[in-house]
Amino acid sequence: MDVSQYLEIFLDETNEHLESLNKQILNLEQNPDDMDTVNEIFRAAHSMKGMAGTMGYKRMQALTHDMENVFSDVRTGAIKVQPEMIDILFQCLDALQEYTDNIRNTSDEGTNDNEPIIKALNEIRNSKGGAAPAPAASEAPKEEAPKADGAGSSEKWNEIPFDESQINVMQEALKAGKKVYGLNVVVMPDCVLKAARAFLVLKAVEEKGEILVSNPPAQDIEDEKFDLDFTLVVASDEPVENLISVAASVSEIDKVTGGPLDFDKIKPADAEEGAPAAAEAPAAATATPAATPAAVAAHPGNAPAKPAEKKAAKPIANKTIRVDIEKLDSLMNLVSELIIAKNSLVSASTGNAANSAAFNEQIEYLESVTTNLHESVMKVRMVPIESTVSKFPRMIRDLSKSLNKKMELFMTGEDTELDRTVVDQIGDHLMHLLRNSADHGLETAEVRAERGKPPVGSIFLDAFQEGNNVIIQVRDDGNGIDPEIVKAKAIERGIVTPEQAAVMNQQEIINLLFLPGFSTAKKVSDISGRGVGLDVVRSNIEALSGEVSVKSQLGVGSTWTIRLPLTLAIIQSLMVVVGEEKYAISLASIETIETIRESDIKYVQNEEVINLRGTVIPLIRLNKVLENESKPSNDGSMVVVIVKKGDKMAGLVIDELMGQQEIVIKSLGKYIKHAKFISGATILGDGEVALILDVNALL
Amino acid sequence: MEQLSNINNLPADGDETKIIKEILQYIVIRLGDEEYGIDINYIDNIVRMQHVTRVPKVPNYLKGVINLRGEVIPVMSLRLKMGLPEDEIGRATRILILKVDSEEGAVGVIVDEVKEVVKLASDEIENVSHDSKSDKPVYVSGVGKNGNDLISLLDLSVINLEDN
Repeated sequence: MDVSQYLEIFLDETNEHLESLNKQILNLEQNPDDMDTVNEIFRAAHSMKGMAGTMGYKRMQALTHDMENVFSDVRTGAIKVQPEMIDILFQCLDALQEYTDNIRNTSDEGTNDNEPIIKALNEIRNSKGGAAPAPAASEAPKEEAPKADGAGSSEKWNEIPFDESQINVMQEALKAGKKVYGLNVVVMPDCVLKAARAFLVLKAVEEKGEILVSNPPAQDIEDEKFDLDFTLVVASDEPVENLISVAASVSEIDKVTGGPLDFDKIKPADAEEGAPAAAEAPAAATATPAATPAAVAAHPGNAPAKPAEKKAAKPIANKTIRVDIEKLDSLMNLVSELIIAKNSLVSASTGNAANSAAFNEQIEYLESVTTNLHESVMKVRMVPIESTVSKFPRMIRDLSKSLNKKMELFMTGEDTELDRTVVDQIGDHLMHLLRNSADHGLETAEVRAERGKPPVGSIFLDAFQEGNNVIIQVRDDGNGIDPEIVKAKAIERGIVTPEQAAVMNQQEIINLLFLPGFSTAKKVSDISGRGVGLDVVRSNIEALSGEVSVKSQLGVGSTWTIRLPLTLAIIQSLMVVVGEEKYAISLASIETIETIRESDIKYVQNEEVINLRGTVIPLIRLNKVLENESKPSNDGSMVVVIVKKGDKMAGLVIDELMGQQEIVIKSLGKYIKHAKFISGATILGDGEVALILDVNALL
Repeated sequence: MEQLSNINNLPADGDETKIIKEILQYIVIRLGDEEYGIDINYIDNIVRMQHVTRVPKVPNYLKGVINLRGEVIPVMSLRLKMGLPEDEIGRATRILILKVDSEEGAVGVIVDEVKEVVKLASDEIENVSHDSKSDKPVYVSGVGKNGNDLISLLDLSVINLEDN
């Protein structure tokens, strides 16, 4: 058994801690006196130290250790939170992130000792509050803690029934000049991977000494065959508090108690062997008289973090398990198959009126079950975007310093949920847009003052759900986009000719930003603008079946809007017939369905339009666009599906409506990547393939 | 040392090389009047001709997509791609499902007939040199001698799409 199997858990937890640290330290910058935040930070640093230690990442452990020390001092009031301290702490987090990234890539933490940071951390401790508080700080929590249950009640090691060989081993260890301790480790009740925690404890303890006896046996502990606690007998050269602290440093360990083994009380399985063992006892007791009080003191020394830990852990600890995304994908595929099979049943049952009503009833039942199943699986895949956006406040803070502009980020709707794959992919693009806003959007303080704006620029990140879509907006109150500059640049780059540009309206010009090879930044900076950018953002968002748009008013600010579908794999659609072919149109993009007469068609600039309740809507004849033969309608009427994309609407002229159907989206594959107007395919109940119309491309 | 000297001797000894020669299997297909061999390693499946859903706005040799056990697979007309007349769909028409590049996924190609499987030793295959002066693309990667017959071996880069 080695620790590599716990690497995943380690990385996941470290990331969670880092995220929380970033958030809390930002919080601390705003409220330097908030003790809850300080405790939270201390707890996270402490857990990370323990995990890094047990996994053998010494550099990471050293760094977190010093961080923890600083917060230990803050807790006792020995030092005060200062702005420069926040900067160092952020450097600290970056260094830890680097270690974590290294570990993820190479399973090694790398060789950077980050000495300057460690030195800076130590300077914080030494410089503030003079000489006296520092030692006092490290002692203080131990003395404050009132609990002293280290002895008495939990000395479970004295209740283990030892057999002859175990007692022999213990005696030999004593003869070899080692000390024999009992350790009782209690795991938190809501701990998810008890065996893993226990294993980390065993491993940590083994580094300090030799485990002679464990109750239950080590194999049972690894198999999770224990309740909430287990007991160890350890031979070691080190004082018992060292053992306790290494064991307690493993996260999700509730309590570790320890003390010298009392040979008077142990229950030998064999009575004869009891006597010599008892004779040894006084020697053992005298050998470690100091250890007992130390152990009692050491235990509370680890304890102060615990009450805070419990309080903070409660809301997060709703029952969750980690599931490999691949397992969910395969579950999703099975649901897709089920829906295809259900659709086949539906199509097999229609057209045969002789079948009993009971059959149809069962089909309807199956239909509702599969729909519910689909929704549940989709929900499982949904995660709040918080995991992605939580790093942005920190990023904006850093940008604010490096760009020397004052700015603030306001976020709403972090709990908006999206498919996991989408959440993973939009992070970079949101970051890009935020950077754009910070770099190009917001003006310098002088310009802002001239324009009568508040000196601190505001960037907003809002997420919310709208129908079957999730909208994420990045907004700023900066300069906005200057169409003239964009136009000049586009002409200079040869993207449009001056003649083309002359007839474009403002919005069309601004949309040029999304074309490849465009960057309006006057100078290239680290933050944004290397010419690769918005076109990549747009193509990636479109690959997720989403869209991105921008509205801007010069001098007032810009708003970037990303619209993403809630689900990717299965959608409700309207099936239509054009010519002899069947097509699916996503229900989400359909406004209404109208029947119009040929005579209702008007012409505007030689384009066919209809006037629908006061709105002029252009008509698109699908048979022409899709290049197929359509049956001419004989009664002069036609069916028009009104679709919309953002503010734009159009009427799609079709031959016939088939009805609503839940469809599973399949890709057309890389071979047919240039299929215009088609976003994918689906398999119908009869096994035939129908294409899904890309309404975005049609408009 | 002994092994080393053996290896050094090998090129001189013509008979020895035959022992390590490779046996390759080719499926022989018919396109109009021409026959081609396709390396069996690249063939995932052979299915009967079925309804192909047309995809609009793609090159004419891309005939559309089919449903192959729940997967949507693009289908290409080898005839049109190679500049031959349009397919005549008959009883013998088959779709060969090819998997050349795992990243690109499977592609179906329509052939007039699947005739047989032949085994060719690697030394029975001759590479053909392309006439660089000719503009016409050549889709033959080699010629195999199967007894008295010669079989043109299809260069599977034929299924690559032209980027335009």
